[in-house]
Amino acid sequence: MLSVQNLHKSYRVGKTTYEVLKGVSLDVAEGEFVAVMGPSGSGKTTLLNCISCYIPADEGGITLGGEEIARLPEDALAAVRNQKLGFVFQDFLLLDGLSVRDNILLPRVISGQTGGAMESDADRLCDVFGIAPIKNKYPAEISGGEKQRTAVARALINHPLVILADEPTGNLDSKSARAVIDSFAQARESLGATIFMVTHDSFAASHCDRVVILRDGVVWRTLARGSETRGQFQDQLLDAIREMGTEEV
Amino acid sequence: MTTFSEVYAALRRANRKQYALLVGCCFFSVLLITTYVCMMRSPTILTVLPEGGDSRKQVMMIFALAVLGCGVFTTYASGLFFRQKSRETGVLLALGASRAQLRRELDKELALIAFGSCAAGAVLGAPLALGLWQVFRAFVVDTDEMPLSFDPKAYLIALAFSAFVIVMLFFMGARFIRRTNIIDIVQESHKSEPIRDVPRWYGPVGILLLPAGGFLGYSMPGWIIRGLHWYPPEGLTAIFYLPALIGLYMILLHTVVNGWRQGKNRYKHLITTSMMKFQGRQTVRNMLVMTLLIAGAYFAAFYTPMLGTGSMQQIDKRPVDFSYRFRADQDIPEKDEVEALAREYGVRLTGFSEQPAAVLGVDGTTEFETDSAIGTSYTVEYRELLMEGVFLSESAYNALTGQHVDVQPGTVTGIFMAETGGSGMFGGDASLLTNMVTGETLRVTPTEDKFSYDMLFGRYVMDDGDYAEITAGLPSEWREKQVFFNVADAENSYDFAKALFNEIVDRSAPAVEVYDAYDPVAAALCAERGEPYDYSSENIEAHGFERISYDQRDSSNFRLYWKYMPQFRSLDKADFVRSMAVFLMLFIFIAIVCFAAVVVIAFTRCMTIAVVNARVYDDLRHLGAPNAYLYQSVRGQVNRVFLVPAVTGTALIYAFYMMIMYFNGDPLGITSSEAAGLLSCLVLIAALSAVLYGVYRITKSSVCRALHIKKT
Repeated sequence: MLSVQNLHKSYRVGKTTYEVLKGVSLDVAEGEFVAVMGPSGSGKTTLLNCISCYIPADEGGITLGGEEIARLPEDALAAVRNQKLGFVFQDFLLLDGLSVRDNILLPRVISGQTGGAMESDADRLCDVFGIAPIKNKYPAEISGGEKQRTAVARALINHPLVILADEPTGNLDSKSARAVIDSFAQARESLGATIFMVTHDSFAASHCDRVVILRDGVVWRTLARGSETRGQFQDQLLDAIREMGTEEV
Repeated sequence: MTTFSEVYAALRRANRKQYALLVGCCFFSVLLITTYVCMMRSPTILTVLPEGGDSRKQVMMIFALAVLGCGVFTTYASGLFFRQKSRETGVLLALGASRAQLRRELDKELALIAFGSCAAGAVLGAPLALGLWQVFRAFVVDTDEMPLSFDPKAYLIALAFSAFVIVMLFFMGARFIRRTNIIDIVQESHKSEPIRDVPRWYGPVGILLLPAGGFLGYSMPGWIIRGLHWYPPEGLTAIFYLPALIGLYMILLHTVVNGWRQGKNRYKHLITTSMMKFQGRQTVRNMLVMTLLIAGAYFAAFYTPMLGTGSMQQIDKRPVDFSYRFRADQDIPEKDEVEALAREYGVRLTGFSEQPAAVLGVDGTTEFETDSAIGTSYTVEYRELLMEGVFLSESAYNALTGQHVDVQPGTVTGIFMAETGGSGMFGGDASLLTNMVTGETLRVTPTEDKFSYDMLFGRYVMDDGDYAEITAGLPSEWREKQVFFNVADAENSYDFAKALFNEIVDRSAPAVEVYDAYDPVAAALCAERGEPYDYSSENIEAHGFERISYDQRDSSNFRLYWKYMPQFRSLDKADFVRSMAVFLMLFIFIAIVCFAAVVVIAFTRCMTIAVVNARVYDDLRHLGAPNAYLYQSVRGQVNRVFLVPAVTGTALIYAFYMMIMYFNGDPLGITSSEAAGLLSCLVLIAALSAVLYGVYRITKSSVCRALHIKKT
């Protein structure tokens, strides 16, 4: 579904060039829930921003649903973001002037596909993520967890190929974080969504099928959950992180 | 909600305050400029501001400042609007909206905002000008020359400014949408404006450059004219003010970036200084415009107290209550008639004195000008017969003034002002006198000693024998009579003064319906050469001056510039505001416009700082900063935006005014009437500073509200 091949990205600050991604390659299969972890500066967010096409990669390819998207022109990129990608941000990025339901509808309205099913689709998503009682409220009137579940519903309204989530639990308390991760799991199970999530949180990552660990701009290790329980997988993740720390020392 | 337009409409409703601010700023700027330009181009105003005169130049200069100020604050208001809009635009782009889609919606909104607010401002500008003027007329003063008329061409300038606002809005909108990096747009409100390091010597060097530039700019044109005999183009001499502008910029930059505090105390203001430092560029530009606008506003505002106080004091200091002169061939009331008229009004005359004077041709040097592409140069030439001089015999002078002077035969003594001497207009140095009818001449020596008597300023006193000799055969049209008298109750003599003034005007012939600068000797010389004379009634309008007309006897033009305008204390005092009404009201109006622009710029800038630094204040809260600390920081920033331009602009213009007053006189110095005027200006500064303080408090409250900081 999503394939990243030999991705390079560097930033230039003054006369110094910082190479953030040094040839990252990875694949995400349809219906898979994949997390990317790594220490600060490892290139997680840059990788996500390149996949989202928010920033152009210097080198390498990104294929989404068989289509190379890294070099698409601006208008085609907008269509990809709207139709094939769903976004969940750390700061939620809901529009304060729109109700929960209108926020969810937004990608559909942008696409112009405002047929009769639009509102029932939004209502169904509200039901799935348990936000039906607050669907007419505004972002300022709901909790952080509810905001993020709204964002997840918004990401799914156009039936995207992949949901890209940037630290979705970063601004939430543990209870809300759990609810958001549950909503991802539910999206995958009920709606067959493919999810690609950047996170620091080993608890959140332990719900995934696979975790890609980045270090210094390259894939350091990939861990698959397989038949392990969530708890065991989290321990495995923590061990890997500990090992990475030891190597650095 | 099913369409993208409906999404935009919903967002617009939610963000109506941001829209209102932008609409308000555009409306306000166009309104101000339209009002100003309607007033500035009004035939009513142009009539009293001679073309090429200083007053018109000042009005134009302040207009340029107002345009600059309004242009700047409208641009910043739109910048603030787009900055606040960046988040929703970033989210929409991230969710797959195309730039073309956003551009379409934004253009629709901007068209509504731009055309709506500009049209409203332009349409209401003229009624506002008229309304303000009517308020002045109703509550301050009303004269025959005050009905305001408009020149439709003024709307072209207003239209040009509206076009600028509209184009600027669309340009800013297009630039905003064109930004390619979504991440930057989403995070735009966290971005700061970098500023290069500013060396600490900027402050002291700026302080040196500022007065040096002011002095250079003021005095260089004079030095060039006197030294090189060349009138350089005005644009060229304006360059000499440049060091002052650079100095001002350096002072503001140093204040914003480095601050003047050193040592431990610096840490107390660390956050305020650092926030300002990274908002430096725009803040300093804002402050510069505000400083210049405040200076312009005060320059206009000082006009009334300076003129009012100075004139009142001069009138009070006159040694006689009533003074008038007339050409001896005119049938003007003399002692018996004046006494009769006084009786009619219940006024008792004391100390009446009427003395003859003679108008003679005198020698002197004059400048012959040659125009060229690089300005006007001139050569100085001596002429044995150049202009008129009005001469009194020593006995006439003694009778009028009560002094006992004795002028030696073969000499003449000029009469000067007690405080300001010749004011650069009168040298008292005639050495060859000519009887314009008989052609007789008399060589004389101007004395070193000078007489002082303000009400006879510009005349000469000569020996009685010499006077009789040179004026022999002089007909009455070359003779004058000078009348001085006092009244027992000067305070209550207005009606009598008015009646006598009307009588004098009514009985003056068209031959003396002439401008103050009309010189019968120069006119006769022109006639001899067959050349037109600039100050004759026929030609004066072609030179940008209004013709003197007995029908307009209450107009400022007549009262200020009629050659034979009587000086009656009670009349001059009571009618001062009336006769100067148009001038006074225009300058008060300009001051209001400039101060309004300052207030809007300061408010907009402070709100921009609040929006830009919202994240910093959140961070400070997370670091445990108490509300009092945050409030102190806000106060510090709002203080700088208001205080620095207010103090600098006020000090600047006050010092400049003092400098002008000091160098204006001959000898150099500040006269008592100027000192009184300057003192009145201080009172005005106190009053306007109090108004600015009120706006400062309102702005501080608004910024606190925007940042969720409680006032302590």
